[in-house]
Amino acid sequence: MKGIFSVLVENKDGVLSAVSGLFARRGFNIDTLAVGETDKHDISSMTITSTGDQRTIDQIEKQLNKNVDVIKVRRLAESKSVCIEMILVKAAYNMSNRSSLIELCQIVGAKIMKVAPKYLLLEYHAEPEAVEGFIDLLRSYGIIEIQRTGTIAMEK
Amino acid sequence: MKLKGSEILMECLLEQEVDTIFGYPGGTILNVYDSLVKYRDRINHILTAHEQGASHAADGYARSTGKVGVAFSTSGPGATNLTTGVATAYMDSSPVVFISCNVADNLIGKDSFQEVDSTGVMLPITKSNFQVTDVKKLAGTVRRAFAIARSGRPGPVFIDILKNVTAEEAEYEFIPKQKHKEAGVLKAVYDRNMVDYHKPEIDEDDINKLVEMIGESEKPMLICGGGVVRGRAHEEFNKFANLADSPTAVTVMGGGGMNGRNPLVTGMIGMHGSQASNIGVDECDLLIAVGCRFSDRVALDPETFAAKAKIVHIDIDRSEINKNVQTDHHIVGDAKRVLEKLNERLSQQDHSEWKKFVFSYPTETEYEDGGDTLNPKQLCSTIAKLMPEDTMVATDVGQHQMWAIQHFHFDYPGQLLTSGGFGTMGFGLGAAIGAKVGNPDKTVIHIAGDGSFRMNCNELTTVEHYKLPIITFVFNNGTLGMVRQWQNLIYKGNISETNMDRGPDFVKLAEAYGLKGRRVSNQEELADAIKDALASGSGYIIDCMLDIDEMVRPMVGGGSHITDFMRT
Repeated sequence: MKGIFSVLVENKDGVLSAVSGLFARRGFNIDTLAVGETDKHDISSMTITSTGDQRTIDQIEKQLNKNVDVIKVRRLAESKSVCIEMILVKAAYNMSNRSSLIELCQIVGAKIMKVAPKYLLLEYHAEPEAVEGFIDLLRSYGIIEIQRTGTIAMEK
Repeated sequence: MKLKGSEILMECLLEQEVDTIFGYPGGTILNVYDSLVKYRDRINHILTAHEQGASHAADGYARSTGKVGVAFSTSGPGATNLTTGVATAYMDSSPVVFISCNVADNLIGKDSFQEVDSTGVMLPITKSNFQVTDVKKLAGTVRRAFAIARSGRPGPVFIDILKNVTAEEAEYEFIPKQKHKEAGVLKAVYDRNMVDYHKPEIDEDDINKLVEMIGESEKPMLICGGGVVRGRAHEEFNKFANLADSPTAVTVMGGGGMNGRNPLVTGMIGMHGSQASNIGVDECDLLIAVGCRFSDRVALDPETFAAKAKIVHIDIDRSEINKNVQTDHHIVGDAKRVLEKLNERLSQQDHSEWKKFVFSYPTETEYEDGGDTLNPKQLCSTIAKLMPEDTMVATDVGQHQMWAIQHFHFDYPGQLLTSGGFGTMGFGLGAAIGAKVGNPDKTVIHIAGDGSFRMNCNELTTVEHYKLPIITFVFNNGTLGMVRQWQNLIYKGNISETNMDRGPDFVKLAEAYGLKGRRVSNQEELADAIKDALASGSGYIIDCMLDIDEMVRPMVGGGSHITDFMRT
């Protein structure tokens, strides 16, 4: 199963490595990890997604709570939260498929940030599943480079 | 008033009522040691032979007194030498604040002399750690470190202070320990209501449900774990066991959490658990584990562990619930308070039939007469007989550790000091030093194996210098006994690199350190040596000869069902 954790942590040295180290040390998976400062400069927010059986996901929540630099852990249900991921991607094109690529971008709502002779640099954000679907569609054109932010999530 | 960083550190230690520090100076911590001279009348510094010795001593001090231990070291190798002791304290939930200094801020990150990323090294083996780069934040950090070390499930905290911070000045205002929650950074942290600083509220329904379950049980069994010891809940636990009229198995870390002479005690549980304990756990219909984390040395096979029983787990650390063993009911809370509540509501139970069944199995192993060597039980019972009943026992790790825990009776928290979780050979002498310094009125002995003793016997210099009358019993079988036992039982007798057929002569070693020593190989010689050691009032080594093939019995293989005793 999938676990989505929204974690408030103290914004101090070593907290990110403490949290990622916790996952590594106990054999938990990190699927995605997104970190940023909140409106308060001394508190950061992390969104962590992970997969594992029920017991593992429960353990992740408890172990996160145990870390003294963690202020609050919320486990988000996918159905009751907004989950967004953003990507930047360079998709290759040639003269024969350029218009279909542009059409695809228009249909899904991906922004063309730069048009280069051999590729389009695209920006796209959506629910993680839609992002995965878009990446799959781009494969047939050829992906030159991709950057993903990982999921960020918030309870509705 | 304006003080230097090193003085602020001393003042903050005084706020915490720290009167003893174990440590070792060096380049980056020079300012702190410079200030220490001024505080010599209020802070007693014990200089060890090695930072590892200081780390174990601070840990032994913490375990035996219930107070927070403190150890100092310099940067680089000083800090890395602490690590084994830090990990030992972490695995056994011992509250120690380790303080090290690092190179100054203009040298940080440049691979300077004796520089290491100390907080990075300490990260997975501490409850929390801090690097102090601003003298204005020093006092708040120290206050916070102590609060973390002692709160909830206790544990070690590491503070790394840059050298320039110890020289720079800042305003310092004395705040008594009790008021720390109302000031500065700790107030902010408390206000955020972080779970870890507070004892969890106990759910009354959880208590009532357990009382009901005990009422329905015909074959209850208790496990006394390390949480009972750390929570100083031994009186409550004894009362609870008596009310529940339940046989009680004790883990390695639980020694002293239950009165060792209480007739309900079935002995140690797990890999080297007694038959009564292991069979009791296997046959019971209700298993209540207090402050025990069901480690692989206790719940050997988590799938079949106490399979016929409803398992109830009482622990202060929520993350321990359902971590290793799936439970049927749990109560998250401080052992003392949970047991108090249970004792208020529980009526006297009677399980005579069940007790008769459990105690039809032995709680201790009998050994054949050793002939021209001592056998483990003779050795332990002679020591126990001639020592005061409340003697504190620090052990190293291996066969001697198991024998000591199997055959001694521990009656109060802190009486047994042993590295249960991390299994640190060489822990005992440092721990004994910490215990003796923290409990000058108690008799302290150190039980070692010949392998373990070789590791950190350098601390004999500390024993001698500070005139600490610690008696070390070396259980000398000329081998790394526990590893040899595995080689014999599991590796078909293929003995590989476990023979300790080499020096030093421990009696001469004692003399070289200015202490007395004697070699003994039967009970009379042993008794004689103990009397001499007690009369001498100084550090003493008794080198006790055992047979090389003596084994710890019973034994259940790792991962096996708890009653699958091996043929030993």
